[in-house]
Amino acid sequence: MNVIVLSAVWGVVMMFSGLFIADKSKAKYVAIAGLLVLLVANYFDLHHKFLFASSIGNMLQFESFGMIFVTIALLSTLLYVLLSGAAVEKVGNHAYEYFALLFFVLCGVGIAASYNNLLMLFLGIEIMSIPLYILTGADKRNLKSNEASLKYFLMGSFSTGIMLLGIVLLYGATGTFNLVIPAVSKASENMMVSAGIVLLAIALAFKVSAAPFHFWTPDVYDGAPTVFTSFMATVVKVAGFIAFVRLFENAFGGMTDVWQYTIALIIAATLIAGNITAVFQQSVKRMLAYSSISQAGFMLFAVYSVNAFAKEGILLYAAAYCLATIGIFAVLIKMKDFTFEGFNGLAKQQPLLALLVSIFVLSLAGIPLTAGFLSKYYMVLASIKAGGLLWLIITAMLCAAVSVYYYFRLIQAMYFKEGDANAIDVNPRFKALLVVAAVLIILLGVYPNALLLDWFHIL
Amino acid sequence: MLALLLILIPLITGVAAFFIKNEKSVKTWALVASLATLIVSLWSLMHQDNYHSIFSKEWLPDLGSSFSLGLDGMGRMLTLLTAIAFPVIFIATNKSTYKDSNQFFGLMLLSQAGLMGVFLATDLLLFYFFWELALVPVYFLSSKWGGERRIPVTFKFFIYTFLGSLIMLVGILYVYYINPEKSFSMASLYNYTFGHKAQSILFWMFFLAFAIKMPIFPFHTWQPDTYEQSPTATTMVLSGVMVKMGLFAVVRWLLPLFPEAAHGNDNIVIGLSVVGMIYASCIAMVQDDLKRLVAYSSIAHIGLMCAALFAGNSIGVQGVMVQMFNHGINIIGLWVVVELTERQFGTRKMSELGGIAQKAPALAIMLVIIALANIALPLTNAFVGEFLMFNGLYQFNVWYTVVAGLSIILAAIYTLNMIQKVFYGNTNSITENAVDINWNEKLILAVVVILIFAMGVYPKPMIELTKTSVESLVSAFK
Amino acid sequence: MPINYYIFLALALFCIGVAGVLTRRNAIIIFMCIELMLNAVNLLLVAFSKMHYAAAVANAPGTIVGTDAQLFVFFIMVVAAAEVSVGLAIIVMMYRNTHSIDINFLNRLKH
Repeated sequence: MNVIVLSAVWGVVMMFSGLFIADKSKAKYVAIAGLLVLLVANYFDLHHKFLFASSIGNMLQFESFGMIFVTIALLSTLLYVLLSGAAVEKVGNHAYEYFALLFFVLCGVGIAASYNNLLMLFLGIEIMSIPLYILTGADKRNLKSNEASLKYFLMGSFSTGIMLLGIVLLYGATGTFNLVIPAVSKASENMMVSAGIVLLAIALAFKVSAAPFHFWTPDVYDGAPTVFTSFMATVVKVAGFIAFVRLFENAFGGMTDVWQYTIALIIAATLIAGNITAVFQQSVKRMLAYSSISQAGFMLFAVYSVNAFAKEGILLYAAAYCLATIGIFAVLIKMKDFTFEGFNGLAKQQPLLALLVSIFVLSLAGIPLTAGFLSKYYMVLASIKAGGLLWLIITAMLCAAVSVYYYFRLIQAMYFKEGDANAIDVNPRFKALLVVAAVLIILLGVYPNALLLDWFHIL
Repeated sequence: MLALLLILIPLITGVAAFFIKNEKSVKTWALVASLATLIVSLWSLMHQDNYHSIFSKEWLPDLGSSFSLGLDGMGRMLTLLTAIAFPVIFIATNKSTYKDSNQFFGLMLLSQAGLMGVFLATDLLLFYFFWELALVPVYFLSSKWGGERRIPVTFKFFIYTFLGSLIMLVGILYVYYINPEKSFSMASLYNYTFGHKAQSILFWMFFLAFAIKMPIFPFHTWQPDTYEQSPTATTMVLSGVMVKMGLFAVVRWLLPLFPEAAHGNDNIVIGLSVVGMIYASCIAMVQDDLKRLVAYSSIAHIGLMCAALFAGNSIGVQGVMVQMFNHGINIIGLWVVVELTERQFGTRKMSELGGIAQKAPALAIMLVIIALANIALPLTNAFVGEFLMFNGLYQFNVWYTVVAGLSIILAAIYTLNMIQKVFYGNTNSITENAVDINWNEKLILAVVVILIFAMGVYPKPMIELTKTSVESLVSAFK
Repeated sequence: MPINYYIFLALALFCIGVAGVLTRRNAIIIFMCIELMLNAVNLLLVAFSKMHYAAAVANAPGTIVGTDAQLFVFFIMVVAAAEVSVGLAIIVMMYRNTHSIDINFLNRLKH
C-alpha cells in the first residue's frame, strides 16, 4: 500500500520538480531519493505497517510474495537509475517527466504485485503499460521510436481488450471479481469460465511476450530508446509474470486441467521461437529482445506449476534476470556500435567491463555458480513437482543449450576476437555498481537462501 | 577438512593469480600453489580417518542439497592424479609464453578447483555444480590461447558437453523427485532402489553426459579437434584428468544408482566402447599430426576402460581404477614430448620430422619408454591395468575381448610407427639443428618415467588404495 | 429480454472490433476498433451486472450485488480515456514525421 501511494505521489513530485529545477541533470538525484523513500515504504509494507489508513475492501492483498517482488523491482530500478540515469536524461528535453513516468510504472508494478481483484489486475496492468507507450516514443524525432511506440500502443490496447473480455466472462459465470472463484455447476457457466481463463492467459501472454503473441517484442524493444528498453525488458516484464503467477495460482489453481496443457504449449512455443530467432541476430540489442522472450519461456514454468517452488523460483528468477539484463543494457548504452562486432576486443580495452558482462551473460545462459542457474533449476524443479511433462523439460533443456550459442557470441567477441571496441565515458562509479550487481548474481547463485528465499518464509 | 582444502587452495590461488601481472611471478605462483595442493593430497593419503576426509555443511536446505565432500579410495586416487598433473604441466610448459599469462594461470588453477570438486562431491547437485565449473575455465583457456580454428572448435566442444550436462540435470532432478528422502546426498541415493522404468530412462540421461565427456564413440567428435586446437597445457588437463571425470562419474553415480539398467544395457555400452576402440585406432594409424594421433589413441584407451567398467566384475573394475591413474600419467607424458617437439621445431607433422634421436637422445629414450607404456608393455604401469581389464572383459564375454585385443595390436603399430618416423631415420632441414632437452624437462620426464616403472613393478599400493571402492561398487552392481 | 441477446450483441461488437484491428491499415481506424472492443465489454458488463442483480434481488431485496460491475465500467472508461490521450498523441507524433498514418509504413524495424 505504502509503495503504491508513494510512487504515484513521487511521480507528481518529479513532474513539479521539473518546473522548479532548471538543471535537468539533477533529475536522477530526485529519482534516486524517491526510490530510497519507496524502499523504506516497502520495508514497512513487508512488515504490514501501513502509513495510510484506508479501507481497501479486500481489493488488494499484501502478502510476502508480492511485497518481496516489489523490493526486487525497486532495487532493480534503483540500480537501473544509478547505472543509466544519465542516459535517461539524454533521451530528450523532458528528463523529469521521463522519471515521473517511471514512477507511475512502479505504481502499476505495486498494484500488479498485490491485486486481489480482477479490477485491480486490470488497473495495475494498464498503469504499468500506458506510461511505457509514452516512454517508447520518447525519442520523438526518431522514426524507429515512433513506430515502436505506435506498435506497442496498438498491441497493448488490443490485448487489454482481450483481457477485459476474459474478466467479464469470468464475472458473468461467477458474479464476482474476486480472485477466489466460486465453483460453478452449469455447463454454460463452466464454458464461460474456461473461455475467460483462456482469454486472460492470452492477454497476459501478450504482456509478457510469450509466443505466439511475442511478435511485437523485438520491434518494440529494438525501436525504443535503449535505456527504456532496459527497463521494459526487466522490471515491467517480470512484474507481468508476478501478475500472471498470482492470477493463476490464487484464482485458477484448482482448475489446472483447464489451462495447464495450454500453458505447456505456450512455454514450448516461446522457448523455441525465442531461442531459434535469437541465434540469427546481428545486433546485441535485438538479440537481448529475443533472449528476453526465451527467458520468458522459462519464467512461464512458474505459471505452469503454481506451487511453493514456483513462487520461490520466480522471485529468484526475477532478481537474477533483472540484475543481469540491466547490467548488460547499461554497458550496451555506453557502446558506440550495437552489433556483436561492436564488442570485438572489449576485453583488451576494458578488462573489468568485459569480465562483468561475461558474468551477466553466464547468468543468463544458466551456468552454475550464477543466480541464473539456480533460478532455471527452480523453475524446472517446480514443474517436475507439478507432474511435469518430460517432453517439455527436455525441450527447455535443448533450448537452454541453444541459448548458450548466442550468449557466448558476446563472450567470444569480447575475449577472443580482435577489434577496437571502446565503451565511451565509463567512470569508476559505474564499474563499481556493475561489480555490485555481478557479486549479487554470484552470491544469489551460491547461497540464495540467506539473501532472498528465507525472507519468503520469515515475513 | 583436507577435502575442503583440496578445493580451496586452487580456488583461492587461482583467483589471486589474476592479480599478478608479472609473467615470471605468476608462473612461480601457480607452481607453488599446485605443489601445495599436491602436499595436501599426499597428506590425505596418510590420514584416512573421517575427520580429515569428510566435510559437510548445510547449503540449500529447500532443495535437499548440502555442501558435502568426501574422500574415499577412488577419490584419493583421482585427486592425487589431479594434484600431480598440474605441477607437472606447469613445469613442462614453463618455457611457453602466453599473453595475459595471469589470466591463463588463474584459469588453469580454477579448472583444477573444479576438477577436485567433481572428485570430492558426495552430493549429486554439488557434483553437477563442479562438473560444469570445471568446463568453463577450460573453454576460456582453449578459446583464448588455442590454435587457428580455436573459436569454432572449442565452441562445439562447449555446447556439446553443455547439452549433455543439461540432459543429466533433468535426470538429477528426477532422481531427487523420485527419492522419497528428497535429498541429493550420496548415502541416501545409494540406499534407495529406483524402479525399473525410472532406471531405464535415467540411466541414459546420465550416461549421455558421461559418454560425451569420456568420450565414447559416437560422441567423440569434439575431442580430436579440441585436443589439437587447445594450448598443450590445456590439452594435458583435458586428456590427463578431465576425461577421467566421465569414468569417475560412471563409477560414483551411474552404476550404483542404476545397477539394473546398467546390467540391461551393458552389451550396448560395451559394444559402443569396443567399436570406438577399433575405430579410433584405425584413424590414429593414418594421422600425420602428433596431437591428433595421441587424441585418437586416448579415445581407444578410454573405450577399453568404459567397457571394463560395464563388465562389472571386480577384477575389471580394479583394472579401471589402476588404469585411470596410469593413463593420466602416460598421456601427460606423451603430451610433454609433443609439446617439446613442437616448441623446438614448430611443427607437429610426423612427415616433416625425423631423426631427432640422433640429436636428442635423452628425449628419445624418454619418449620410447612413455610410448611403450602407452601400448601397455609388461613392467610398465599400463600393463597392470590393461591386463586386469582384459581379464575382466574376458570373464564377461570372450568376443569383446578378442576385438578389443585387436586394438592393442593396432596401438602398437601406430605408436611404433610414430616413434620411427619422428625419432629415427635421417634428419632433415627442420630437425638437423635439434638440441636435447634441458635439465628441468629431463626432470619432469624422469618423474613420469619413474612413476611408470614404479606403478608397473609395484602396483600394490594403488590397488590397496582403491580396493574398497571396487568392492562396494561390485557389490552394488551384483 | 433474455441475457443471451446482450451476450451475442456484445460478442458480435467485440468480434467486429477484433476483425477491424486485424484487417484495417489506418491507425485511427484500428484505434476506433479497439475502442469498439472496450465498449462491447462495457455493454456486457452492464448486462451481467443486471443479470446477477436480478438473480440476487429475488432472494434478498435491497442487495447491492452487481454494483461492482457497473463501477468497473467507469474504470474502463477512465482507462480508455487515458489511452486515447496517449494514443492520439502517438499518432499525431507519427503523422508529423511521416505525413501518414498508414501502418503499412511501419516497417523500418523489420530486418
